[in-house]
Amino acid sequence: MSAPKKRNFQIEAFKHRVVVDPKYAEKTWKILEHAIHEIYNHNASGLSFEELYRNAYNMVLHKYGEKLYAGLVMTMTSHLKEIAKSIEAAQGALFLEELNRKWTEHNKALQMIRDILMYMDRTFIPSTHKTPVHELGLNLWRDNIIHYSKIQTRLQDTLLELVQQERTGEVINRGLMRNIIKMLMDLCGSVYQENFEKPFLEVSADFYRGESQQFIECCDCGDYLKKAEKRLNEEIERVSQYMDIKSEGKITNVVEKELIESHMHRLVHMDNSGLVNMLVDDKYDDLGRMYSLFRRVPDGLSLIRDVMTSHIREIGKQLVTDPEKLKDPVDFVQRLLDEKDKHDKIISLAFNNDKTFQNALNSSFEYFINLNPRSPEFISLFVDDKLRKGLKGVSEEDVELVLDKVMMLFRYLQEKDVFEKYYKQHLAKRLLSGKTVSDDAERSLIVKLKTECGYQFTSKLEGMFTDMKTSQDTMQGFYAAMGADVADGPTLTVQVLTTGSWPTQSSSTCNLPPEILGVCEKFRTYYLGTHTGRRLSWQTNMGTADLKAMFGKGQKHELNVSTYQMCILMLFNNADGLSYREIEQATEIPAADLKRCLQSLACVRGKNVLRKEPMSKEIAEDDAFFFNDNFQSKFYKVKIGTVVAQKESEPEKQETRQRVEEDRKPQIEAAIVRIMKARRVLDHNNIVAEVTKQLQSRFLPNPVVIKKRIESLIEREFLERDKVDRKLYRYLA
Amino acid sequence: MRKEDTVKLISAEGFEFVVDKKAAMVSQTIRNMLTSPGSFAETEHGEVTFPEITTTILEKICQYFYWSLQYASILYDSGKESEFHIEPELTLELMMAANYLHT
Repeated sequence: MSAPKKRNFQIEAFKHRVVVDPKYAEKTWKILEHAIHEIYNHNASGLSFEELYRNAYNMVLHKYGEKLYAGLVMTMTSHLKEIAKSIEAAQGALFLEELNRKWTEHNKALQMIRDILMYMDRTFIPSTHKTPVHELGLNLWRDNIIHYSKIQTRLQDTLLELVQQERTGEVINRGLMRNIIKMLMDLCGSVYQENFEKPFLEVSADFYRGESQQFIECCDCGDYLKKAEKRLNEEIERVSQYMDIKSEGKITNVVEKELIESHMHRLVHMDNSGLVNMLVDDKYDDLGRMYSLFRRVPDGLSLIRDVMTSHIREIGKQLVTDPEKLKDPVDFVQRLLDEKDKHDKIISLAFNNDKTFQNALNSSFEYFINLNPRSPEFISLFVDDKLRKGLKGVSEEDVELVLDKVMMLFRYLQEKDVFEKYYKQHLAKRLLSGKTVSDDAERSLIVKLKTECGYQFTSKLEGMFTDMKTSQDTMQGFYAAMGADVADGPTLTVQVLTTGSWPTQSSSTCNLPPEILGVCEKFRTYYLGTHTGRRLSWQTNMGTADLKAMFGKGQKHELNVSTYQMCILMLFNNADGLSYREIEQATEIPAADLKRCLQSLACVRGKNVLRKEPMSKEIAEDDAFFFNDNFQSKFYKVKIGTVVAQKESEPEKQETRQRVEEDRKPQIEAAIVRIMKARRVLDHNNIVAEVTKQLQSRFLPNPVVIKKRIESLIEREFLERDKVDRKLYRYLA
Repeated sequence: MRKEDTVKLISAEGFEFVVDKKAAMVSQTIRNMLTSPGSFAETEHGEVTFPEITTTILEKICQYFYWSLQYASILYDSGKESEFHIEPELTLELMMAANYLHT
């Protein structure tokens, strides 16, 4: 017994049992041969396994192994030749079925033969390096059936034809297909690859080449993609049903190549239905299909991405350069946001939130937003509009949503400092006129700006909020201290603003009416009494006033006007008519502002509390103004010519631009000094590069300006040029 | 014990041993005999005749089947050896039979 440790040892036969009968081998073989015949003829039940096994055992033991093996090969071969004939004779559709049936039978017979010849399989075959019985059976099947000239091509053609039939929508016997193909896979060597897979792939390539030509001629892009996707899924399903799983990659490759890769440029650029049209019409399904199909082929996605990028740039460019659309800044920004939303949605719905697509979208926006130098101003105006009125009655989450979107646009800006400048101006106006809808929203936006650009960026904005808060406290203190002293005079509200935190205003004062002046003086004394070392100056151009007025027929109105307008109207308490020059003299309001105020007081229908002579739209220097006794209005409160943040006029724009440029100078200088302090010696190009890098988060400095700043620093002896290499700068401590 | 779970092993002298199929299948040859897809006479009748194995040897073989069934796996796991006693005079014939039965 070989357990527990198995060792291979050969047992010599008994000497005395050596069979002397020379016909012994012949006789034994005849028995076995007969058994094989019987097995092939389904007659095995009468056979004794033990007897056959013993015979085979004895043959091998008595050195007739060679004879046994050769006999087996011969017998099996002759049987297979018979089988081949019967398969060949099968007509039409029966061919495959006959083949399948014979294959099953052969397998069964082979199993039995292997079992009775097991002893040979175990001892004789390994020692003589012959093919084991089972493999031998498969090889003989392959050589005699599959490679039989009258079967080989017929089999291949039949299989391919069936696949073709299935492709055209007919139903075929998939079980049979599966069995036959499984047979090809079971046979060793590359029978499956040679006899089926290779021709299958070739035929498929031809088929799809033709079909794709036909599709592309008569379908639009969306339909084509639908068809391609359907074909692809069909092939994958087909492989899973009755082919080697390894073929899946190969056949999908063929389909991808023929249906997608070779037509992808044509598809993307197809008139009226290509990628651009899909983007325009928000065809999420089609776009998603295109994405999932194109990602399968090399360069597919980058093609989509490139076309999308150039499309977005194109429409973006139109958007930001169309003078029609620049008229309304709020609308302009809203359009940008809509555009962004639209493409964000496309990317998330159709493009699988692909990071590279998001980056492409972002870079496109960055590209075209900065094409228009007024973008920062418009974005700030948009925020202004939203914070003034747009967000009334909107929930907190929605406010956050809008602000986040604005921040996203802000991120695209290269000139962030320009935005800051405008934002400061608009915020100042909002705060001073008390037009802010929500303090929370204001603060939330400032926090966002802070996280984006750092403390420096928002410190002044925060200072503005602090000023507003302290002013409130101061006013309370003032009235508490004065008490009855000021009770019957006009109510004064002062906002004390820290110089520097607020946008610098040309301090054009005007002469305040004596009633107001009195209260103002009292406040000044009070304020300077509580705070030492401060100076107060009145910013009359930024204030507002509420006036109560009685008109000719006794109707009372409350007029909400600016400080300038208040000064003008107060003059009419003492006179019914005044000329332009008289007003100018009395108030000393700068001419441009005065004209604007008079225009809004006298020329706007429904708000014309003054009457002008002669009646015209423009204010001329020799016009005369009268109190309008006949003024009528449905409302008790009348709002006149409020200071609304308007799109800047051309000269104002120039001015702001200049201020921005001016503000950049010290920033650039500071950056240069910081860099040089660390590096000591650096050449020109590197300085420019580093400065640009440092300031990138705020604006893109112009190299020419940087050069000028360097020169200025050299003049002031912060830096010097190297004596040998003129391109090198040294830092002078 | 159901009949289909057992197999009858018949010695050269005609002595019958009824053993569990599970035990008999310790021999690869018998296993093949009983599981081969075609229905050989042995599978149908549930008996196998060994005209070249004597009763003594077949008895020893059957003992070994059960011993192996019980201990082979345990031995393998624990590494402990449990002796299967073989009388020296049987050794040669037993080994030949083992070769034949592929045990």
